[in-house]
Amino acid sequence: MTPRVAVTVFPGTNSEEETVRILVDCGLRAEAVHWSRAGELYSYDAYVLPGGFAYEDRIRAGAIAAHDRMMDSIIEAALAGKPVLGICNGAQILLESGLVPGTAAVRTPTAAFTHNAPVPRFVCRRVWLKAVVPPERCALLAALPKDAIVPAWAAHGQGRLVAADAELDVIRRDGHLALIYVRDDGEADPAAVPNGSALACAGLTNRAGNVLAIMPHPERDAWNVNHPLRARTASPWAPSGGSIFFAAFAAAVREGRWG
Amino acid sequence: MTRYVAVELTIPDNEAFTVARVLQRLGVAAVRVERAAIYERDDEGDPNALVERIARDEAIVNPNKHRVRLLDGGEPAAGEAWIEERSSLPDPRRPRFIAWRLFDDAGRPLARDRVREAVERLLCNPAIERAIIG
Repeated sequence: MTPRVAVTVFPGTNSEEETVRILVDCGLRAEAVHWSRAGELYSYDAYVLPGGFAYEDRIRAGAIAAHDRMMDSIIEAALAGKPVLGICNGAQILLESGLVPGTAAVRTPTAAFTHNAPVPRFVCRRVWLKAVVPPERCALLAALPKDAIVPAWAAHGQGRLVAADAELDVIRRDGHLALIYVRDDGEADPAAVPNGSALACAGLTNRAGNVLAIMPHPERDAWNVNHPLRARTASPWAPSGGSIFFAAFAAAVREGRWG
Repeated sequence: MTRYVAVELTIPDNEAFTVARVLQRLGVAAVRVERAAIYERDDEGDPNALVERIARDEAIVNPNKHRVRLLDGGEPAAGEAWIEERSSLPDPRRPRFIAWRLFDDAGRPLARDRVREAVERLLCNPAIERAIIG
């Protein structure tokens, strides 16, 4: 039976449509689950928290959503080993909920994706990501082709990983750093980091490897229609580069690579 | 002399309402929450002129919905927590602190240990912020 994926919609989420679409294109039964249906979340097999501005980023990005009733179910599911992916604002929510890096109790954040640096402005630019964990460390990235470079779009004002030095050491040492920003040829380069993120971090995973928080949007680079030069081709909805990220996620969900 | 100036909404503050609701859900008995942006500035010898300067700065104050108040000192009062973001470069347009004032159902400032609980569970992410509790 095809696994069911809940794409959560908090007040202020704005990327649920394209997120559902790419998951369906990758062969999953995905649907948007509105916050008023929080009580149904337990019945899903996997969860994706899409981008947006949940609760208008009140207090801090992700802070209010981390205490929403929907997160009660998602935290429980994550601790039970179900796959959970957060993209952009979804990633910020996962950090505020303490699910990633997951080095302290839940809802005790030890890191944040916060205001970009050196200039604290919204950034919208194409970026490239590379997995820096072995396949066995993060189930959601295990099916990525070896040395894959994932194109995506950074579209955030608060995407810079910040944590205390000791916490950054733990993140690096214990394999929580899952994805980094690289050049399109896969080489590390400070200029490839759009936001001043520590460790060039684009994505973090938890200890069990079933929760992944990424700041950029691969779903905005997932079809030809996303590309000015290819949008008018005969197959605008044919998969493009970013779809490999969701294909890996779908493989992990289908094959039960968790728990 | 360094002065602290609070800029507060005179219209309903949706963010403060949200914080109150979440704190109630967390079991922290804050029935009412107020919020203020605290600016730290040198008064150049004239505190009233400082307040006037801030009040006229349209990037900070909209006179239709804000009031500006000179504070007695640079520390939070009882029932208050001031949150300072530590991770960004100083920006003169941004406040030094966000002040949260928490009140119980009798309208009294919340006890310090309850304010601390609110800070630890919601108002402050210690990875990027520090809190001063009154």
